[in-house]
Amino acid sequence: MPPIGFSTGALFKDALSDGVTAALQMHLEVIELSALRFRELASLVEFVHAADLTAFHYVSLHAPTDYTAEQEPAVASALLTLANQFHWPVVVHPDCIVNQEVWKPFGQWLCIENMDKRKKAGRTLEELQSVFGAFPDARLCFDIAHARQVDSSMTEAYRILRELSNRICQIHMSEVTSSSKHDRISESAVAAFREVADQLPLNAPVILETPVTPEQALGEIAQAARIFAPAAPTFVAVVPA
Amino acid sequence: MSQPQPLEAVFKLERSLGASWPSIRAAHDATVMLHERLGQALDQFTSEDTSVVIFGSAARFEVTSQSDTDWLYLVDGQADPRHRDSAIGVTREIEKIGNEPGPEGTFGTLASSHDLVQFIGGRDDTNANLTRRILLLLESRPIGRREAYDRVVRAVLDRYLSGDHGWISGHAPYGIPRFLQNDIARYWRTVAVDFAYKQWTRNNEGWALRSAKLRMSRKLTYAAGLLYCFHLATAERNAPLPSRESLHKHQGIDALSDLTHRTPLDILAQAFLSSESLHEYAKRAFDAYDRFLGLLNLEEDRTHLKTLRPEDADGDRRYQLVRNIGEEFQAGLTHLFLENTATQYPALIKAYGVF
Repeated sequence: MPPIGFSTGALFKDALSDGVTAALQMHLEVIELSALRFRELASLVEFVHAADLTAFHYVSLHAPTDYTAEQEPAVASALLTLANQFHWPVVVHPDCIVNQEVWKPFGQWLCIENMDKRKKAGRTLEELQSVFGAFPDARLCFDIAHARQVDSSMTEAYRILRELSNRICQIHMSEVTSSSKHDRISESAVAAFREVADQLPLNAPVILETPVTPEQALGEIAQAARIFAPAAPTFVAVVPA
Repeated sequence: MSQPQPLEAVFKLERSLGASWPSIRAAHDATVMLHERLGQALDQFTSEDTSVVIFGSAARFEVTSQSDTDWLYLVDGQADPRHRDSAIGVTREIEKIGNEPGPEGTFGTLASSHDLVQFIGGRDDTNANLTRRILLLLESRPIGRREAYDRVVRAVLDRYLSGDHGWISGHAPYGIPRFLQNDIARYWRTVAVDFAYKQWTRNNEGWALRSAKLRMSRKLTYAAGLLYCFHLATAERNAPLPSRESLHKHQGIDALSDLTHRTPLDILAQAFLSSESLHEYAKRAFDAYDRFLGLLNLEEDRTHLKTLRPEDADGDRRYQLVRNIGEEFQAGLTHLFLENTATQYPALIKAYGVF
């Protein structure tokens, strides 16, 4: 089973250090440091230089999604400095990339996330292939919940994994509602995710984006772990002749 | 993945046979123009959760001068009373273009994805629901944003394939999805029975025109539906399956949703292209179809057929033409599906066509 951790934004919205503290208390090995809003980026940079994150085997950064075209070079520059210094992948939404030139220097540290149905780019295999055409060394943050929202039969997930699983560096997992909000992983989501579980690379960390309290977090990890559990054996009643 | 152009396989077959099908080409061009007008008028009503889906001749690329435009405002998302306003808006725009839907009430309205996906069989699967669902797979096309349409097509296929224990567990001979094939056959038989029902309830009004459509375009859709299911055929009767059921299902949905983007004429043309030994009958079938579309495009002929009564049909020159065209088309289908063993189709019909 892959290591399972949390996005700090899911554990404590707007409180990066509290999210990291909670993850450390749970002895999580993987974490995504989230700065989804531009105003959070400066404190993220400050935090990672001050914090001791050596307990985590895997750390990634989630880039802001609300910056303007004028702010984009500064955002990319700040994140590129961290990626080069710490060798952490930076998760970026493809629809947020306006100026490709500022993201090309990231190389393998650029981690493109597949999108939910609201977006007009990066949702399907063909749309992702178009993005990777511009960033040939970039990797994929496979958001399995986004893939399910785009196609509940999980056929699009199967197609993306069939062609791009060798690019995956991490997996986002949650339930995504019809209005594209993250939610806790339901039973039907577990059943859907299990359909493609064996196409997921086992060395790619799972980052949960489910909004939970710290008390609920371990239960949510257990729910996510069920996706990778072997199928229950089928027992056949043997009736004596 | 680039989608094939509409009627691409038909025109390839036309070239291979050295044939000439001007009425099919005219219908293609008229359809392209109609789609452009519909796209400009209707895109405003579509979103990530709503698609305008057209059916019938407009989806088959067989538009002639008097064609209806059958459409649905397909909703796959949160319930919203404003969807009704959008459906009314679509109605107004299509009325402006001058192509209204047929009078049955199956189309020209709002439809929820849940009915199409959840009600397969049982008392809630009405005639309208069955028609919408099968034609969604076999002859439909989205206008404007297509995300909802694509999701619903795959969800419907998911129901058919995951609900087919024999197919998904590898016990279906040649790997044909029998649940889906049975429902396509049910739809075809329903259309044929409704032909008699409409003749009875409408006092024979429009009988001869409906007869022509039953012999040609409706039968074409059924033939394409058989080929749609046969597309998943394995080379051997008991071929090995992929390593797990969900992989088998996803491969099946991927292949069939790709086929949904092709027209029935293209699916039939592709089947005829599979062996040169089929070419003689391919020409007979497609020559007949070309004449059928030519007949529909002539206002005088169409009006004549619309008003012809059954008791006058035997001595009627135009209706005899309809019969001849229908027999030629049937001869092509009979050869393809039953006689020529260069393809697997006769073996598949033997396994699935009757019982």
